[in-house]
Amino acid sequence: MDGLLREYLPILIFLGIAVGLALVIVTASYIVARQNPDPEKESPYECGFAPFNDARRQFDVRFYLVAILFIIFDLEVAFLFPWAVSLGSIGMLGFWSMMIFLGILTIGFIYEWKKGALEWE
Amino acid sequence: MISLNELMPALPEIVLACMGMILLMLGVFRGDGSTRSVSWIAVLVLIVVGVVLSSVQNGRMTAFGGQFVVDDFAHFMKWLIIIGSSFAILMSINFNERESIARFEYPVLILFATLGMFMMVSANDLISLYIGLELQSLSLYVVAAFRRDSLKSSEAGLKYFVLGALSSGMLLYGCSLVYGFAGTTSFEGLATLFKSLGGTGPSVGLVVGLVFLIAGLAFKVSAVPFHMWTPDVYEGAPTPVTAFFAVAPKIAAIALFIRVLVGPFGVLIADWQQVIVLISIASMVLGALAAIWQDNIKRLLAYSSIGNIGYALIGLATGTEAGIRGILVYMTIYLAMNVGTFCCVLAMRRTGRMVENIADLAGLARNQPLMALALAILMFSMAGIPPLAGFFGKLYIFLAAIEAGLYTLAIIGVLASVVGAFYYLRIIKIMYFDEPAEVFDRSMGREVRAILVGTTLFVTFFIVRPDIIVEGAGTAARMLLAG
Amino acid sequence: MIYVLAIFLPLVGATIAGLFGHWLKDKGAQIVTCGGLLLSATFSVIILNEVALKGEPQTIQIFSWIISGGFEVDWSLRFDTLTAVMLVVVTVVSCAVHFYSIGYMHHDPSVPRFFAYLSLFTFFMLMLVTANNFLQLFFGWEGVGLASYLLIGFWYEKPSANAAAIKAFLVNRVGDFGFALGILGVFLMYGSIDFDTVFNATPGKAAATMEFLGGTWHALTVLCLLLFIGAMGKSAQLGLHTWLPDAMEGPTPVSALIHAATMVTAGVFMVARLSPMFEYAPFALDVVCVVGASTAFFAATVGLVQNDIKRVIAYSTCSQLGYMFFACGVSAYAAGVFHLFTHAFFKALLFLGAGSVIHAMSSEQDMRHMGGIWSHIKLTYAMMWIGSLALAGLPFFAGFYSKDMVLEAAFAADSGVGFYAFWMGIIAAVMTAFYSWRLLFMTFHGEPRADEKTMAHVHESPKVMTIPLIVLSLGALFAGYIGYDAFVGTGMNEFWGKAIFVLPTNTAIIDAHHVPLWVKLLPIFVGLIGIGLAYYMYIMRTDMPAKVAAKCWKLYLFLYNKWYFDELYDKLFVQPANYIGRGLWKEGDGTLIDGLGPDGVASLVRNLAGRVSQLQSGYVYHYAFAMLIGVAGLVTLYLYTLG
Repeated sequence: MDGLLREYLPILIFLGIAVGLALVIVTASYIVARQNPDPEKESPYECGFAPFNDARRQFDVRFYLVAILFIIFDLEVAFLFPWAVSLGSIGMLGFWSMMIFLGILTIGFIYEWKKGALEWE
Repeated sequence: MISLNELMPALPEIVLACMGMILLMLGVFRGDGSTRSVSWIAVLVLIVVGVVLSSVQNGRMTAFGGQFVVDDFAHFMKWLIIIGSSFAILMSINFNERESIARFEYPVLILFATLGMFMMVSANDLISLYIGLELQSLSLYVVAAFRRDSLKSSEAGLKYFVLGALSSGMLLYGCSLVYGFAGTTSFEGLATLFKSLGGTGPSVGLVVGLVFLIAGLAFKVSAVPFHMWTPDVYEGAPTPVTAFFAVAPKIAAIALFIRVLVGPFGVLIADWQQVIVLISIASMVLGALAAIWQDNIKRLLAYSSIGNIGYALIGLATGTEAGIRGILVYMTIYLAMNVGTFCCVLAMRRTGRMVENIADLAGLARNQPLMALALAILMFSMAGIPPLAGFFGKLYIFLAAIEAGLYTLAIIGVLASVVGAFYYLRIIKIMYFDEPAEVFDRSMGREVRAILVGTTLFVTFFIVRPDIIVEGAGTAARMLLAG
Repeated sequence: MIYVLAIFLPLVGATIAGLFGHWLKDKGAQIVTCGGLLLSATFSVIILNEVALKGEPQTIQIFSWIISGGFEVDWSLRFDTLTAVMLVVVTVVSCAVHFYSIGYMHHDPSVPRFFAYLSLFTFFMLMLVTANNFLQLFFGWEGVGLASYLLIGFWYEKPSANAAAIKAFLVNRVGDFGFALGILGVFLMYGSIDFDTVFNATPGKAAATMEFLGGTWHALTVLCLLLFIGAMGKSAQLGLHTWLPDAMEGPTPVSALIHAATMVTAGVFMVARLSPMFEYAPFALDVVCVVGASTAFFAATVGLVQNDIKRVIAYSTCSQLGYMFFACGVSAYAAGVFHLFTHAFFKALLFLGAGSVIHAMSSEQDMRHMGGIWSHIKLTYAMMWIGSLALAGLPFFAGFYSKDMVLEAAFAADSGVGFYAFWMGIIAAVMTAFYSWRLLFMTFHGEPRADEKTMAHVHESPKVMTIPLIVLSLGALFAGYIGYDAFVGTGMNEFWGKAIFVLPTNTAIIDAHHVPLWVKLLPIFVGLIGIGLAYYMYIMRTDMPAKVAAKCWKLYLFLYNKWYFDELYDKLFVQPANYIGRGLWKEGDGTLIDGLGPDGVASLVRNLAGRVSQLQSGYVYHYAFAMLIGVAGLVTLYLYTLG
């Protein structure tokens, strides 16, 4: 049991540093920065949307399409990192597996391109 | 280094995957005008895959480092899936054109779903199980919502997706518990482990994991209480999709169910049997009762499929060779009956619009006597009336249950099928004895008519040579239990 | 070949007329059926010549019918003298009736159906008489029952006709039940139901016993009595006779064919056919004799006071059947069949004559509304005279030979039942003569009692009706004289061959030729008395009948209401059965079984189904909730049962 918990110690340390750093930054902004609030500054900020509105309002689905496509390719890159690191030990099988994976991904990419998902208008 | 020979058992899947992607490219470059040809090519691909499947089939083989297994059981189930999938594509060709939802993605998605089902059937590891399941499910979510401009269809897709995600979560949670307590995801490893347990029995965590696993799978076969999505999705999805939902994924999921429970967890039958018995009873009873008040024929068929899965689960609950053989026979007959019935539903079209109320069938015997006759035969068969095929399906299941000493289950099964007979026979009564409603359009389409005739003949003449299917099923069941 | 054709031509005719009557129209159906019957009758006469006169009985196997374990039945036609005689009777009378019906039914809207039924009946009757085993006999037996039912209820829009048809069917069921039991018993005893096998084995079984109704009985007696119950039903013997008078609701040609000449004689035929069995069951024979004699007497008394012309003849038929049975009962089967043979002609003649009268009187059947029409329909009048003379057994008419033979045989039997039968027969003979002439006088003589319109309309029937009458009258005139020698006279033994079996010790039929002279003369004498009495009461002193009826009103009512048989049965069987049936239906079935069973379960299921359907709310979170609850429940269940 102790061994198991000890393995999680780095995470605990990481959490501690993160919380500490956040506190330091927020406190610092109160202490260091000049405070001159107006309504515009007080309003919450969200990219691309009017800040206050009905949550059920319609919006352009293209935002989501782009976001989803981004995530897919982002994840794919995430797969590439461990693959690149361990390529030396997994040999040709590893290499071709990733090639097939990328090939399939490319077909998906061609499909979305041809369907026009990448064009804004 | 992996040799190509090692991939041979998976050749059908590889062919399927490649052809799916090629068709996707073909479709996307040629546009939606190519839907008809893509559909026909997809059917052709499925047939080719079937041929490849049968030609590489040779006893029990594994691939991908034991993650993937091929045996007679998989062979049998995959053939059923191929038939179900090709019917689903054939039935959709005219329908989608008439409903102006003819997009080439449909056959491609069916192909990918089929690939997922193949993976499920051949899964020999919790991880390959999950991959197959998700590949299938993701395709199904999309086809359920295939009619994008229909509120009901979108709702069906969304509901299915949300609940499917929940069930996948449960499944994964179950898998992780099993892995956590057993230390392996391989079915063979699990089987060896459980055999070595001896009298001590599995740990609680392991069995809880198993229950979660069962819950996830029960969702896929739409067994009570994980069935709630079924009526809504059946009703909302376009009819060919519903027909597809009713057969192929059910067959794949029940195959997976059998493979997991009878394979690695076979030793623990005492632990999971009661769970399956409970689910089975609940499904049969609910399937029989809830259908009585349905007006919509697709909803009715949804409850019917819930009930039918209940019967199939009886066979699983026995855990014996006879029980599994019973399931295989049952699912074969179930496939034919359901596809045939959905062909009739497809023909329920008045002045260009689909109608789905049971009352719309009134007096069909006078307007379209042949279709009424076919539907009547299918309904009689569903009700389990001899000498039609449906009777034998139930017979083998109940016999297996009696042999295994599950008398309560068999009796409840018989009672439920008596209650269930009510709504099947009601359809016949409406067709033959009620005042005729307006005539349906006579535009069934060649493919649909051929499928209807074929399935009806199968259901009618199953009695002549039942041995063809029963023996195939027997071999498959024997190999599964031996392996 | 003609053997098979003779049997199957009527079936062919019936099938064509029945199925294609719509296209054939009336004429076509008539041609097909009448033509078939004419051929069939011709062949029958040829068959009679070959089989009986040349002494060449045959059996023609058509195919194996049923083979089930040790139970084997062939479908084969048996032609011996008995069969040949019946063939001639059936086909000739049927042929006459077919032609007669062309005229009689020509107003009817469904002529093809009528002719199809008639031919169908004829086929079944032929099936019955050519049967080579019990099952085939039963097939024909039930077939004629069906045809009789269809024909009695031919005018199905008449409630009384329907009621009569159902009554005939039901009463016959009682008899058939006995018959069927008898057949089962035969199979039990002999292991076969083939006639030859059974008859050959019978002498060996003479002393056998069997368990029946908890006692041990002489087996053959039990079997014969059971079979005789069947005969009683079909031949309307005392107790099971009630259907016959009601059956007169059918068209008159039907009454002539089925309820006088052929079907009702099937019982007599059966007893004669089974003579090898009855001979070894003396008690059963006594029962046959007593029942027959009692029927002869009973039916004659009822016939005295009936007013419906057809009912009088119906009771007369009933009475004459009694004669035939008691002849059989004293082992004088030949006499019985002889009487059957002659009776068929003159009784059919009487019925068809009555039909002609009814036809002339615009469907009036009540004799009180007739009278004084003899001069308008002279031919019919003459025919009725011939028929009545034959019936009363006056010398040289057909009935004289056969009826006297029957009575003499009864006397010669020299036994208690024989004497009972003889005297009953004599008394019945007086009454027979009386009611026959009562019928003649009331119908044809005296003041016309019908309204003027009917009287003006009285006319002789067309030729197509009168010619069959003449043909039959020839039979009524000469059948007795011609047949006497062969049937019961010196040529008897060669004629019958092996068709009828009589134990050497039962010599009634031989002794009948040597009875005292007074026995021979008595029937003629009493016949004349009856005629005289009728003349006195209905011509000379027309006020007498009313006076007699008033004086002996109790007796009159008793007779008029047919000894209250119908009322008795109504009280004894119909009402209790109705009561019990209604009780079982309303209370037992409706309230108890339906309420708790089908209806109760059904409503429970519907109720449950409604609740189950409500679970399906359509909200995703409900569904998800149900899934989670399900998983939780399953885990709980597992942990709980694990201990």
